[in-house]
Amino acid sequence: MGRRPTPGVLVSDVPRPTDAISDHAIEARAVTRVYKARPAPVTALAGIDLEVAPGEFFGLLGPNGAGKTTLIKIFTTLLLPTTGTARVFGFDVAVQTKQIRRIMNMVAGGEQSGYGVLTVREQLWMFSQFYGLGTREGWGRVDDLIEAVGLGEQRLQRISSLSTGERQKMNLARGLLNDPWILFLDEPTLGLDVSAARVVRHLVSDWRAAVPGRTVLLTTHYMAEADELCERIAIVDHGRILAIGSPAELKRMVQRESIFRLELDRLDGGPAVLAGLPGVVHASPAGGADAGAALDRQTVAVNLVLTDDAALGGVVGALGSLGAHIVALAKSEPSLEDVFVELVGRGFDDAPAEASR
Amino acid sequence: MSAESGTATAPGQRSSGGFDRSRADRGGPATTWRAFATSARLGWQMEANWTDPLLFFIYSVAKPLASALILVIMVQIVSGGGTGAAAARAFVVIGSALWAFVLAGVQGIAWSVLDDRERYRMLKYLYVSPSDFLVVLVGRGVARVAVGGMGAAITLVVGVLFLGVSFDPGRVDWGMAVVVMIGGLAAVVALGILMAAVCLQTRQESWSYPEAVAGALFLVVGAVFPLSVLPLPVQGVSLLLPLTWWMAGFRQAVFPATISSVGGDGSLFQALAGSATPDATTIVLALLATTVLVTLVTAVLFRFSERRAKDRGLIDRTTGS
Amino acid sequence: MTGPNLYVHRRTSGPRAAAAWDRRQVLMNNLRTVLGRAFPRLIGLTREPSWLLFEVGLPFLTTSAFVLVYRALQAPSEYIGFVVVGGAMTAFWLNVIWMMAAQLYWEKDQGNLELYFTAPMDMMAVLFGMAIGGMLASCLRAAVVLVIGSVVYGVHFSVDQWLPLLAVFFLTLVALYGLGMMLASLFVLWGREAFHMTQLLQEPMYFVSGLNFPVGQLGFLGALAVALLPLAVGLDAMRQLAFAGGPIVFTTPPPGVEVLILVVMSVVFLGLARFCLRTMERLARHEGRLTARWR
Repeated sequence: MGRRPTPGVLVSDVPRPTDAISDHAIEARAVTRVYKARPAPVTALAGIDLEVAPGEFFGLLGPNGAGKTTLIKIFTTLLLPTTGTARVFGFDVAVQTKQIRRIMNMVAGGEQSGYGVLTVREQLWMFSQFYGLGTREGWGRVDDLIEAVGLGEQRLQRISSLSTGERQKMNLARGLLNDPWILFLDEPTLGLDVSAARVVRHLVSDWRAAVPGRTVLLTTHYMAEADELCERIAIVDHGRILAIGSPAELKRMVQRESIFRLELDRLDGGPAVLAGLPGVVHASPAGGADAGAALDRQTVAVNLVLTDDAALGGVVGALGSLGAHIVALAKSEPSLEDVFVELVGRGFDDAPAEASR
Repeated sequence: MSAESGTATAPGQRSSGGFDRSRADRGGPATTWRAFATSARLGWQMEANWTDPLLFFIYSVAKPLASALILVIMVQIVSGGGTGAAAARAFVVIGSALWAFVLAGVQGIAWSVLDDRERYRMLKYLYVSPSDFLVVLVGRGVARVAVGGMGAAITLVVGVLFLGVSFDPGRVDWGMAVVVMIGGLAAVVALGILMAAVCLQTRQESWSYPEAVAGALFLVVGAVFPLSVLPLPVQGVSLLLPLTWWMAGFRQAVFPATISSVGGDGSLFQALAGSATPDATTIVLALLATTVLVTLVTAVLFRFSERRAKDRGLIDRTTGS
Repeated sequence: MTGPNLYVHRRTSGPRAAAAWDRRQVLMNNLRTVLGRAFPRLIGLTREPSWLLFEVGLPFLTTSAFVLVYRALQAPSEYIGFVVVGGAMTAFWLNVIWMMAAQLYWEKDQGNLELYFTAPMDMMAVLFGMAIGGMLASCLRAAVVLVIGSVVYGVHFSVDQWLPLLAVFFLTLVALYGLGMMLASLFVLWGREAFHMTQLLQEPMYFVSGLNFPVGQLGFLGALAVALLPLAVGLDAMRQLAFAGGPIVFTTPPPGVEVLILVVMSVVFLGLARFCLRTMERLARHEGRLTARWR
């Protein structure tokens, strides 16, 4: 395993952004946010430094209470930082709110806003007027987006009768009305079933891909979602960024090698014959349930640790010359939760008191 | 019933590892009281914990006192300071004070539905709980009635101390006063439930509906002017309303020197009963009869509204514009 | 999979160009916002017609109660006219306090407030749209009270100067709505108190504004009300103009002076409204109150 990184250290291989503020879609410098609460103030953000490039799909991943929503509220001008500065496309969130609001939009998960007496179409048209679209232009745009998000059958239905998934699609359509340059998504798939969540993710991806330069900041506590969508992720806990990088980079923090599980019809000489191959760090028989299953199928299961994926080719070639055929091949990857555990010493769902740091 | 043995399980006895049917039985008076007490406590918390006690006190008395003062000024402008003015002043002050109960009760119960459906989104959870929905509603409304009572009492005290309302404790018919107040408050609660039934069907903007209905009733129950001012057909409607008899009964029991709201020269009551002023027995019997009538009508309409609300999915909808 | 063209709407060269709106764009955005926010109110009127009875029909009966008080007291007929005019203006005051002043608080409760604050329009446009949306019901209510009240109760208006009367009415509404916008910002910060404070603005306001009697009868309190409350000065001016030459002697300033007071109030309240809304937003962003639901 690699060395434990210093929390908050940038591990990405992407060149560090320049100091020219207009180069960044989002920029935060030493942002803190303290809420006055009884019996004691609550520090939601304890010093956030962050840069997101234009056109990037960036994720904030962390457990509940990590500070993700607080940070997104600062970027969306709903909240002021207690100290520090935050900018969106160079505009200061503290004093240039109008400019930011003209180029961004926000969609939150579990949103129940709106007016129940209106239909989907009417609700969206109302918001189109708030975002500066013309009257007729607004209707046209609403109809386009309703088709895009798959709410055609519900367009004339009152929003009070929409299902959770349908409502979230409507919320997403609202978020796209003004063609924002940056879209903030605060746990957009919260409370949605698998199918509805998948639809929302695809919609966001399609929208972003349609025009280069569109930036998305996503907050989520669903690892798979962050893994699937985000180009870079910041892992957040207790108001601090613990690490930033692409999903692959973050996982390499906890596991630098590539681990494969091979199932072969035969292997004369056992896993040891593979140990000496170039790029092979370790080869051993699989244990536990894998071994039992292989025995039932009369195959041989091997755990293979390689320096990198490229070494696999050599292994496959060697197997061929040994007369062994591959029955099954699976790559074992650490999850982002493994990364979190590595950084914090506890799982997403574990209480903070159990942290070993 | 035990699935394995097929033998019946006594009420309250848990079957071996299975469902205890007795838990689905309707609860008795103790359950009803618990539901009422809990919702009344909740209603009081919601009514009273939004500000410091001083501001809460001011809020509780400002509305009924202001209502009374509006009418007192009206009397003063027209009648000056004579004895006729004093009698009129006492009449309107007492009516305004009692109206604080009506407003609080009608609004309180009706707004419980709107509050829980639109603001707190709790109505569906209350509805599916084992407690009787009606009992919960009444409990929630009772807190507002209590606040209304506080305003009413303060208004009467101010009226007696500063506005010339004549009050002689020695002349109070306490027995009648208690009976009349019980009957009157029961009628107020019934009206509140009726408005709650209406609000179950209407959208968020119906916050003003209970007050509008109370305002309409204000016209016909002899609150601030004697019924003899109204056209005879309208007086007929008034005599069918329990609030009319409640107002008249309270005045007669507690402030016997004030003008009767029901009787008087040219009134329908005089034409029907041959007497200018109803006696205590007539008032009490009329109050009880009309209260029972209104309560029965309310019960039927409330259940109808509930059924319709369930049928149309109105219990957990949110509206708004 | 939908075609990419459904996701492409307006192209600007970049975010900074997209953020740079000229004055016309800002103005049109706010005007469209007024229309957009009035829209759900107007739609609601057509979809739930119960308001016709409860917000127009029944309030007429409340006004009638005060008319009958004067009749029971055998008051001069002009006083009945005062009640009718007061009853008509009640509709607008209730629209201001319930459909505007308390409305931002409701919007916060429903989760709409944060959507408003993340959109580029001015909050005054939103509030004005709310008021416009409620105006139809208010106008209808006022008209019913005025027309039917006059017919049923035999009120005779003697208007010498229609233009000043209309000007007073218009200025009263402007001042009232400015006051409502100012209150709206305060209510967002006060939280749950907003609901109860709005109730406090009913009967006590009716009393100090002279809803059912000439406000001059309140002496010093009346003078203060005329100086500070749009409803008081507007009502008084309208009564003086609507019942010109009658036997009732008004002890308050003449209509010309009251028009000036209304003009000043309009400017002051609208200015204060703008200031309060901006201050509210800054404070709410500072304390995190734009999205708090439990207060």
